[in-house]
Amino acid sequence: MSLDNDLEEVVHEFLVESYENLDQLDRDLIELERDPKSAERLGSVFRTIHTIKGTCGFLGFERLEGVAHVGESLLSRLRDGRLLLDADITSGLLAMVDAVRIMLARIESEGNDGEDHYPSLCARLEALQEEVAASARPAPHEAESMMETGSPREETPFSTEEEMSEIETTGVATPAAPLPVATERTFSEELEEGRREGADPEVRSSGGVAESTIRVDVHLLDRLMNLVGELVLSRNQVLQHTQQRSEAGLAATAQRLNLITTELQEGVMKTRMQPIGGVWGRFPRVVRDLAVTCGKQVDIELDGRDTELDRSIIEAIKDPLTHVVRNSIDHGIEGPAERLAAGKSATGRLRMRAFHEGGQVNIEISDDGRGIDPEKLRERAVARGLLTHEQASRLNDREAIQLIFLAGFSTAEKVSNVSGRGVGMDVVKTNVERIGGMVDVQSTVGAGTTLRMKIPLTLAIIPALLVTTAGDRFAIPQGSLLELVRLESDVAKRAVETIRGTRVYRLRGELLPLVDLKHMLRIPQESDTGSEAVNIVVLQADGRRFGLIVDAINDTEEIVVKPLGKSLKALSSYAGATIMGDGRVALILDVLGLGQEVGLVGRSHDQGVGAQARTPGEAGEAGSGDEAKATDAILVVGVGETGRLGLSLSAVDRLEEFPAERIEISGGQEVVQYRNDLLPLKRLADLLGNSLRASSDGEGAGVLQVVVCSRDGESVGLVVDRILDIVEENIELRRRLSQPGLLGSVVLQGKVTDLVDVGTLMDDLASDTPTRVAA
Amino acid sequence: MRALVVDDSKAMRMLLGRQLRQLGFEVGEAGDGLQALEVLRAESQWSVVLVDWNMPRMDGLSFVQEVRGEPDWAGIQLMMVTTETETDQVVRALEAGANEYLMKPFVGGALAEKLALLGVLAA
Repeated sequence: MSLDNDLEEVVHEFLVESYENLDQLDRDLIELERDPKSAERLGSVFRTIHTIKGTCGFLGFERLEGVAHVGESLLSRLRDGRLLLDADITSGLLAMVDAVRIMLARIESEGNDGEDHYPSLCARLEALQEEVAASARPAPHEAESMMETGSPREETPFSTEEEMSEIETTGVATPAAPLPVATERTFSEELEEGRREGADPEVRSSGGVAESTIRVDVHLLDRLMNLVGELVLSRNQVLQHTQQRSEAGLAATAQRLNLITTELQEGVMKTRMQPIGGVWGRFPRVVRDLAVTCGKQVDIELDGRDTELDRSIIEAIKDPLTHVVRNSIDHGIEGPAERLAAGKSATGRLRMRAFHEGGQVNIEISDDGRGIDPEKLRERAVARGLLTHEQASRLNDREAIQLIFLAGFSTAEKVSNVSGRGVGMDVVKTNVERIGGMVDVQSTVGAGTTLRMKIPLTLAIIPALLVTTAGDRFAIPQGSLLELVRLESDVAKRAVETIRGTRVYRLRGELLPLVDLKHMLRIPQESDTGSEAVNIVVLQADGRRFGLIVDAINDTEEIVVKPLGKSLKALSSYAGATIMGDGRVALILDVLGLGQEVGLVGRSHDQGVGAQARTPGEAGEAGSGDEAKATDAILVVGVGETGRLGLSLSAVDRLEEFPAERIEISGGQEVVQYRNDLLPLKRLADLLGNSLRASSDGEGAGVLQVVVCSRDGESVGLVVDRILDIVEENIELRRRLSQPGLLGSVVLQGKVTDLVDVGTLMDDLASDTPTRVAA
Repeated sequence: MRALVVDDSKAMRMLLGRQLRQLGFEVGEAGDGLQALEVLRAESQWSVVLVDWNMPRMDGLSFVQEVRGEPDWAGIQLMMVTTETETDQVVRALEAGANEYLMKPFVGGALAEKLALLGVLAA
């Protein structure tokens, strides 16, 4: 159809405004729970659902229309004052809002509102209004007069079937029918009052401000920021050139260019700023849901909603903030009984505060819960083998509390479905540090906990250390930098040892694994590495420290971060690029990615949150994370030319590369010598049948990519052709497979991927039967 | 012929505007009743105003009352755009001085029919 483009625009606009309205609606509903009679808020909630429903009718989203319709009927009753909002209804309405969001998301991604009619949700909403309808059922004659006043409905083409069936099932005259006149009057009076108040711009908080602002496409802002970055660099070059000449006119022009560029840069950066309220807006809802789940009473207080941050940073801190809030409610704030026993009010308080200070944004999340007991943390750290007794006892209380940020240190005593999602505070710390921020926690036992984040205003310009290796320059973000160590050649010879093939340096009594940047870059190393001084940049990522060996350390500088092009994005070792004053490009190292690349830093829980923070350009693409979904991390590997297999990351121990000539045969089984043991190998190509096996033998025969899986001390090496990716996705088996060793097919990243049943493979191994080869 | 669409939903304004343009109208938009009044004051020669019922700041009913309180605007045709759940409101809108009403969602023909009824479109 020729109208398609046009209509697409309408749908886009519909999505944008619906999302916006729904955010407001969430807040309104929470507020309404406190003040169930607020006509203004009820009106606004009703309007949102009403508009969605009305527009859906035009756009043909029947299922969404259906759900909105039921919600609207319930809301109209609330608005009429025939039904008073209570926790049940609020929960029902929030569930409806969730369903609407899901359908909107589907419209956004696939262009239709899906197959689900949400029958149980609709039934629940109908039941909620039925309760009242039954109690407030109008007398027969009133019902008749209603039908008369409502006569125009006969003319409407939309006395829908749906509505008819509703009438049948509920057995109530007409749930969506107009009101008895008397009630209507009082209600309209009420509404009138609300409107009069609303007309006063002082009172009115929402709506009406739109005239002085316009909506701008985020990608356009990103592009502008990029262009300004380019301009800044060109300006730097112009300034460099003018210094070498003595034309007065040129110098003056360059000076003006300088000033204007700086001002423009500030201006564009400002346009990318968003008030943190945008993210905070959803917390009242999160807090409410959590509090209900945990059986606690929590009041949330938001302070400094208007504090502005670069939008890429807002994206990046969204998940860490949510995690901290979850933690506070789950572990911090006590249940009502415990609180009363401790002499506190039954309702806990959660306070979120944001403010600017010293060119940074400070975010504080404090609760008045039970606090963190440093003694318990010490015990746990020892119990988990993270610290020795002696180390633990040397920590003062403040230091002990920081232990919660250690990897593998979950404070949850029992895994709850609230915060026990496999990510701990260490991930919060990693993600905040990744964007150049800092996290700190203070706690008093019995009185509460305060978590403080200091976050830079923007990711677009960061301080970085410039280093040189093999003639190229690289930038290392200051945030991950701990210290610089220079070992003169004679010292280096003694101090750098090799343990299990990894070079390490003993830094103040601790083993620091070393990585040579040259090795990372696949630049052949000179054999006599010990003959010259060694420069080590000590880095920290995900709580792990390692040393990066570089040729030379140059200087620190503020650099403009530019996202990498599409073809380079897959390289996890680089966070972006920057252009130096002399016009040359320097790659920015992604310290976390680098650590993972060399296997020094675990990968399992980084995806998702951290991946959003890489560069300002990329962050926007991450989309809004739906934290309610349980995800599983899957290692995706390639076998043969087209085979895609997925392995649950929890089963994966390490990724290794072995030269093909290391394969030996033991008892008819391919093995390699690995960590003083024999590692049996299984070729995953066998699982997929012969056709793929043939092609896989040909390519890359020199080096084997091996996924090492371990269970109960037993290991097996799964031979694959390529390690493709690690994805965290909601997994839904699309097709079960009868082949042994495969669980079934799933769709990951839009491609069919067969899930490997690592357990069965290990069972095969344990029972010592030869691998069954399908086909 | 000029038509003004008053609706707080931009998507709705786009939808209605599209249909009106196809019928040969020059289309203006306003996000609520107050804004619509400003537009009416600023520009003249509006033949018809299509008004949504539920809007922030000033709703459709108040808007109709305001317009009908101003003799200069007596020639402007007012059409309420409502849904089937607001039938009672139609009555009130008509009482307040609206000339016609249109039920959402409607197909192209319905809009043209109603506009013809108002005499702002050749049938």
